[in-house]
Amino acid sequence: MSEVTLTASTGRITGSPSSRRLRTEGVIPAVVYGMGKEAVSVQVARSDFRKAMTTEAGTNALVSLSIDGAHEGHVLVKELQRHPVRRDVLHIDLQRIDASKEMKLTVPLVLRGDAKKVTAAGGIVELRLRQLNVSVRPDSIPTEIYVDVAQLEAEQQVLAGELVLPNGVSTEVDPATVVVTANLTRAAIVAARQAELAAAAANPAAQS
Amino acid sequence: MLMPRKVKHRKQHRGRLTGNTKGGASVSYGQYGIQATEPGWITARQIEAARIAMTRHIKRGGQVWINIFPDKPITQKPAETRMGSGKGNPEKWVAVVRPGRVMFELSYPDEEIARGALNRAIQKLPIKAKIIKREEGF
Repeated sequence: MSEVTLTASTGRITGSPSSRRLRTEGVIPAVVYGMGKEAVSVQVARSDFRKAMTTEAGTNALVSLSIDGAHEGHVLVKELQRHPVRRDVLHIDLQRIDASKEMKLTVPLVLRGDAKKVTAAGGIVELRLRQLNVSVRPDSIPTEIYVDVAQLEAEQQVLAGELVLPNGVSTEVDPATVVVTANLTRAAIVAARQAELAAAAANPAAQS
Repeated sequence: MLMPRKVKHRKQHRGRLTGNTKGGASVSYGQYGIQATEPGWITARQIEAARIAMTRHIKRGGQVWINIFPDKPITQKPAETRMGSGKGNPEKWVAVVRPGRVMFELSYPDEEIARGALNRAIQKLPIKAKIIKREEGF
């Protein structure tokens, strides 16, 4: 798990108008909290934050935060507020974490492999659970958890209990939770029924 | 067409269409969505027209979600009526949509066909809208 660094500074004036002014200058207002310490209002340069979030580790990157030049410790991005239309980041919640303790977070699930049998039967592979709640130590946070669907057949499903989790990762999600389905499309069901009817009409002796 | 089963009050005030949407600004169910970029009222007929345009284009291969519901009654006075005599009769139902709202969602394996379907649905709407994909990562 790679670690990224982020520089923040204190002293920003809180409130909507001053936060709006900061955003126009390319700075994002943020707050750092957690581990029983007092919450601190900080500001982060938009370009620095973008660099930190676009590494291989994604948005679950373990961030080494320094505030006003002093090392603050490790933080994780707990929440991002975005503009509803422009989608740019308006505010960041950074949570302090203890690097030696296990923590809970969500990791995206990604399909891997080509479900040829499902496609051939006229079905669609659908990811029903897009994120998995996991317990993991900060030094082994996975970027993604892969769900292998190469051997999946039509009308089958993958359950949470069947997922192969990376080392050091555990989940409290109900093992019976459906993660991936491979249902036939309505068009495929109709075509199969029509083929059955046509076969029955062509060979009535076999029916009786 | 979509409409409430029963309502507490038959007639409503028009309201104001200021600001952006409070929620529902991201794709939650499908892979692609239609996001409003300006405010407006979407009638039940327009929602139904958009849904039909989409489902016809994808030919039963994917799944469509409608995230808005027309729960606001709009009244109209009959033609050639003198002013006064109270508020008109409820004539149609609309969904109030503010910029950022994801109104429809679609899940389909082929992106080109999915975009074609969503473009056809946008043509049926009275407001400007854009196609967005599900957000992955930053």
